[in-house]
Amino acid sequence: MTSATQPVVKLTLRLLSGPAGAVLVMTAIFVVATLAFFAINGREAVSLFQEMVMGAFGDSYSFSETLVKTAPILLTALAVALPARLGLISVGGEGQLYLGALFGTGAVLAAVDQPGWILMPLMLTGAMAGGALWGVIPGLLKTRLGVNETISTLLLNYVGILLVSFVVHGPWKNPNSLGWPATIEFPAGAILPQFFDTRVHMGLVFGIVAAVILHILVTRSRWGLGLQVSRSNPRVGATAGISYERNVLIVMAVGGLLAGLAGIAEASVIQNRLQDGLASGYGMTGFLVAWLAGQHFLRIIPLSVLMGGLLASADSLQLYAQLPKASADILQALLFIIVLAVASLWGRRRTT
Amino acid sequence: MEYFTTELLTLLFAALRSATPVLAVVLGEAMTQRSGVINLGVEGQMLLGAMTGFAVASVTGDPWLGVLAACFAGIALSMVHAILVLGCGANQIASGVAVLVLGSGLSAYYGTPFVGDKIDTLGNLNHTFVSDIPMLGQFLGPITPTVLITLLAIPAISIFLFRTRTGLRWRSTGESQDITRNLGHNPMHYQLAAIAFGGLMSGFAGAALAVDYTANWVEGMTAGRGLVAVGLVIVARWNPWYALPAALLFGASEALNLKLQSWGVNISPYLLATLPYMIPLSVLMLSYRGLRASGGGMPAGLRVVFQSAR
Amino acid sequence: MKKAIRTLLATSILAISVQAAAETKVGFIYVGPKSDYGYNYAQEQGRIYLEEHMDDVETVYFENIPENADVQRVMERMVRSGVEVVFPTSYGYLDHALKVAEKYPDVHFAHSGGLKTSDNLMTYFAEIDQAMYLAGVAAGLTTGTNQLGFIAAHPIPQVLRNINAFTRGAQSVNPEVTTSVIWTSSWSDPTREAEAAEALISGGADVLTGHVDSPINYVQVAERRGVYSVGYHADASQFAPKGWLVGAIWNWGPMMVNIVNSAKDGSWKSEHLRGDLLTEAAKLSDFGSAVSEEDQQTVLDRREAIMNEELQVWAGPVFGQDGKVIVKEGDTMTLEETEKMDFLVQGVQGRLK
Repeated sequence: MTSATQPVVKLTLRLLSGPAGAVLVMTAIFVVATLAFFAINGREAVSLFQEMVMGAFGDSYSFSETLVKTAPILLTALAVALPARLGLISVGGEGQLYLGALFGTGAVLAAVDQPGWILMPLMLTGAMAGGALWGVIPGLLKTRLGVNETISTLLLNYVGILLVSFVVHGPWKNPNSLGWPATIEFPAGAILPQFFDTRVHMGLVFGIVAAVILHILVTRSRWGLGLQVSRSNPRVGATAGISYERNVLIVMAVGGLLAGLAGIAEASVIQNRLQDGLASGYGMTGFLVAWLAGQHFLRIIPLSVLMGGLLASADSLQLYAQLPKASADILQALLFIIVLAVASLWGRRRTT
Repeated sequence: MEYFTTELLTLLFAALRSATPVLAVVLGEAMTQRSGVINLGVEGQMLLGAMTGFAVASVTGDPWLGVLAACFAGIALSMVHAILVLGCGANQIASGVAVLVLGSGLSAYYGTPFVGDKIDTLGNLNHTFVSDIPMLGQFLGPITPTVLITLLAIPAISIFLFRTRTGLRWRSTGESQDITRNLGHNPMHYQLAAIAFGGLMSGFAGAALAVDYTANWVEGMTAGRGLVAVGLVIVARWNPWYALPAALLFGASEALNLKLQSWGVNISPYLLATLPYMIPLSVLMLSYRGLRASGGGMPAGLRVVFQSAR
Repeated sequence: MKKAIRTLLATSILAISVQAAAETKVGFIYVGPKSDYGYNYAQEQGRIYLEEHMDDVETVYFENIPENADVQRVMERMVRSGVEVVFPTSYGYLDHALKVAEKYPDVHFAHSGGLKTSDNLMTYFAEIDQAMYLAGVAAGLTTGTNQLGFIAAHPIPQVLRNINAFTRGAQSVNPEVTTSVIWTSSWSDPTREAEAAEALISGGADVLTGHVDSPINYVQVAERRGVYSVGYHADASQFAPKGWLVGAIWNWGPMMVNIVNSAKDGSWKSEHLRGDLLTEAAKLSDFGSAVSEEDQQTVLDRREAIMNEELQVWAGPVFGQDGKVIVKEGDTMTLEETEKMDFLVQGVQGRLK
């Protein structure tokens, strides 16, 4: 090594041991792992990988479908990231999504004959209320009764899904749907605007705007700084007049509200009604994305797009290689594991 | 009166059969948490165990081999959690979720070719001396080996944890890793063993569900039982003896749902289906005072896990 | 020599591409796994039959696609990859299929069940309740406790028809019979199906049947507890060698061939295509050893009667659970009325949830 290259090598190593290096390593390992997964299963690894990427971003249709998946993932990820800023580990995105859909649908059914400019805000308010409720309940359980929020949100997820099933099979079932458990079709005034001729809808815009607002609030505002203090030392925060309990309720409610918007968006635009099977695991995916992003609101945006692409491309895997849908879940999990491992190791290295 | 006792006993034993897989996971996860590690991935481990057990039972024709394979599958998957948490220092909740999704995906993926296979089951106590016992025989007869094994695990674990020296060190690891180190032992060894044991029990639980209870495999068949079990560990105060009533609570609410329907009770089955989740949640809510008073029973090391969200 | 090889290569490539151009691509979408010995298995058998009996047809299929808007994306991708005839095989796909059909007017859609069509979307189904009626006759003749058990997924008309037909069949030979229904709220939940089966047996039922995606679970529980079972969708008798009575099964293959042919030769009609026992789209499986020769003959006689229309499954009088008359003596329910069925008949115990 000459004296000229030494500083370059040193700089490269320094860069690699930082976050940039971590991302590089993660991406490399993930690509290798994906190729290996395809190869182990007897498929043409490289061409299948290409097919996957094309299926996610290849043409305008594929890209639009990716964005359709991005919206709910983005919102549920925010629903995890905000409470995480206070040190809360909420896995409740799925339940909050369902409750938002439930309350939003309730608003639509109650005001079904109203014109759009009344119906739409009612629907959105209802959805936010429902999602916020399903966030606040675990929050209250934690502050008043010491119930761990991870467990309570997990259990409430299942309850939320069942509540939707209840109304859809019972009181809100469309009498004209021949017994098929679903509500009536949403009137046009209750369907969120979509872009061009695709299924991409306003929910995506809500999500991006919310991410930006949250970022600014949490990093720049007094309240945001109060959150950080509250998290690291609730007692110190209390003496400064910041109530930990109140912050718990706020973050859980706001997070739930966002997930609730995801829910009503799915019901309104994608399904055009409320029914079972509204959201296939977006809550869990949102959790993964929030963690992948290190709970950073802005980073969540591109990561949601990537994850949306991964899920949307799952059909190309089945279509071209007869790989079952579950392969997308495996890849999702592999990605998460790789990121967790590399991020933790990198973090460790720097502190030692 | 006799009708009433029959109905009650039927319900009790239905609850027991339904609760066994959950009980096994609760026991395993309690041991894991006693060492200061929480593993949400038990749901994925259970699924992988169920699929592996069913597949092996189908291919080899021997359901016991299936159960054995399921245990190994559970251990193997739990090692991912161990590597992430112990090896890389990753956050335990996040790692658990990753393991959950991985187990769920792997079991769905590799399980597809086996759907619809017919396997031999483990048999039950019918046609043995047990079923000839007057009065109780008809209820004890349908009991299967996995139920017995799981029930036997309770005193076994209890003796291990509270009567042996290794058990003491195991528990002290959960309270404070420093103490264990000062005693000259590596806490990570205990945590590794704890995670592996949790994997074994959740794999076994999956086999109990697929090979024994339903003799069938369908993707996602555990339906959140693993996650409920993690909650039930808290309800059981991390004590193997309390695990039984905690799991029975869950099993009873499931059995009750179906029983109420067959009695013609006029409540929506969906609302009834929320019982298995609401009841453990309510118990968690109600035990607040008790938890606070006795310090909770939660291993101190675990408290730190719940407070950090890196 | 080289020239000959080159010509051979060229002609074979040409031949392959010409053949590829002439081949019709047909796509299938299943809501569950194709090997469930149940609903999806039956549709898959149809697809296999199609491939075997038609030379220039290439099929693709997707499994485990849930009944929500995701299926739209799957259908679109299918169509974009060249599929010309799409078979969305699950009831809940209908509205989504209609949307995609609107977008691609040149593609033909054949949806399983339902009462909506469009220019390029038809529905196909079979009167399997006729077979369930016959299965009910077998059950009514065999039961010792006069209690039948039915494990049902969702209270949609298709399921209600089966519960009612089964019960009426049993009542026609054994008026004391009652059917207890337990709802699992899911097309496929093995644990719940097993628990429901156990609960029904403990409650006294000695013949079990059901309408869930796969009969395997309750059939196996029935066999273990030593009671009888009646299958649905497909022949699952291997799971219950002792207790199997009979099963009501689908036979989609021939119907699917007709549909694809009509798409190819232009005779496509956007209709509600319905098969029945006569056209063999719905069949009775083989009897199990538990049904006596005499009883088998009774059932077969009834089958004759249905096939030459002497016996109508839905001819009045039909009484509701509360005893009120729903169909008067002398009237018969129309196809549309049966496909919109929203009641349970007298003798059925269980809430219409």
